[in-house]
Amino acid sequence: MIEVIESAPLNAVQDLGRLGFRCFGIGRSGAMDRLALAAANALLGNAPDAAGIEAQLFPLVLRFTTDTLVAVTGADCGARLDGRLLPPFWAMPAKAGQELELSPPTDGLRGYVAVAGGIDVPVVLGSRSSALRDGFGGFQGRMLQSGDLLPIGPAPARTTRDAAGFGAASPWQALSRPACGDAEPGDITLRVVPAGEYEQFDEPSRAALWAQPWVVTTQSNRQGYRLQGDHALLRVRPLEMRSHGIVPGVVQVPPSGQPIIQLSDGNSAGGYPKIGVVIDADLWRVGQAAPGRRLRFVPCTPALAREAERELAGYLGTLRRQAGYLRRAAA
Amino acid sequence: MSSPVVTLEQPRVSLCGGSALLLEAEGPLALPTQMGIWNLTDEIRAWPGVLDLQPGMNNLLVVLDPLEGDAEAISARILARWAEIPRERALGRLIEVGVVYGGEGGMDLMELCEKVNLSPTEVVALHSAPEYVIFAPGVSPGFGYLFGLDQRLFCPRRKEPVLRPAGGTVMIGGAQCNLGAPRRPGGPVANPTGWYVIGRAQDVPVPFDLAMDPPNRVSLGDRIRFRVERIEA
Repeated sequence: MIEVIESAPLNAVQDLGRLGFRCFGIGRSGAMDRLALAAANALLGNAPDAAGIEAQLFPLVLRFTTDTLVAVTGADCGARLDGRLLPPFWAMPAKAGQELELSPPTDGLRGYVAVAGGIDVPVVLGSRSSALRDGFGGFQGRMLQSGDLLPIGPAPARTTRDAAGFGAASPWQALSRPACGDAEPGDITLRVVPAGEYEQFDEPSRAALWAQPWVVTTQSNRQGYRLQGDHALLRVRPLEMRSHGIVPGVVQVPPSGQPIIQLSDGNSAGGYPKIGVVIDADLWRVGQAAPGRRLRFVPCTPALAREAERELAGYLGTLRRQAGYLRRAAA
Repeated sequence: MSSPVVTLEQPRVSLCGGSALLLEAEGPLALPTQMGIWNLTDEIRAWPGVLDLQPGMNNLLVVLDPLEGDAEAISARILARWAEIPRERALGRLIEVGVVYGGEGGMDLMELCEKVNLSPTEVVALHSAPEYVIFAPGVSPGFGYLFGLDQRLFCPRRKEPVLRPAGGTVMIGGAQCNLGAPRRPGGPVANPTGWYVIGRAQDVPVPFDLAMDPPNRVSLGDRIRFRVERIEA
């Protein structure tokens, strides 16, 4: 078991999300930075769909009631295991009774904690993700709070060859940054496929979508990010849309002209015009973009999106293979 | 005459991301078209590279495997099947719910009346006349988007969403209307919406229950009739 000693609100059990139940109006949920959670599972040798903990408000303090392997990924939350600082994207053995503490990250937004065997909450509609609005999935359909006891799934007893554990390159280091001509070093660049209503926007708006920085506002959370740019995005002739299904990454433009990126807990359907969609392979970058951060959009195609997806799969495959050499059976 | 609602002359498939597609049907919002959408949903479910499907209002979202799904090839295949898919299908059961229009539970009734230039009595008469069909799933498990709204009640969504109490809300947004599920114990007290709440339904049946398999207790194609309990000022 993992005992939650202390948890700020909004931290919850997540996996890669829920698929196949959109016909009931149920969206994906799941980790905002799915790549970080997948990396944690790869380091531990877990199944890719194993659940972990997403920490987005701090502190988060956990105590292990049993010996296990633990991995911390995502934003560098200065994780400490019984006071000992762990580097980011790190896996190491944890002993029964030890405490893991995550603090607010200086860069990035969300940290992930996974254990060998995964968090073994019941699978509800095909996933262990927390569907917080509808109150199901994850740990009792709600955010974590102190006193919660999270079950750990079965896993072979393993430890690491080096008692200090082992780490991996973060995806920021390992993956190519989408190229954007005049982006500043701190800007997060995202590949965007033009969507159904792209052509309905006037020429200056279409140009501004790609040319200007978009600042993440404080009205940004797991449902979606509201962005702010100098030039509002306007349509030539505003028409009322029919409601349709929405996936994470859809960039909607309400009448204000300031776009919203729909994310993990976003509405599964909606009717605002969509100018583009952030490709799946870049959504993890959005999940780590804190308010105030500048986003830049780069045009993309489905073929390039699949290429980006293959690059992610390659990164995770390498991580999984290398981690296999760095773990060993526990004595 | 120009319509305030998007109407396509030809069906189209557009990108809804690097790995999702949206089929939008041609013509005005119609029941036979939606029957075709439901039939196509059942058929596409078995296609390789397709992970999930979601019917909308005369449209269909197709979620592809980001690695395996070939957006270009599947787009072409969807359009080819759409041209042939039968546009008929049996409707489901009739659900009747009583509604108190206006008052505290329907706080936007007067505002909507001004927008559509009708009296509360006229709005309620037009709203409670048709038998609505559950066309598509909504933003949460429930009664989904309803088809059948009299076009005299069409009213563009608000520019900015507002918070409205959850539970049995009867709402109008654009050319659509809906019925909110009863409030879930422990669930949110209010939800953000750009729609107008014109009434509150009493004794709404629970539309979705995870203790059941399958969990949905209403289905696409089921019908809803609103019975006027009373109109409050």
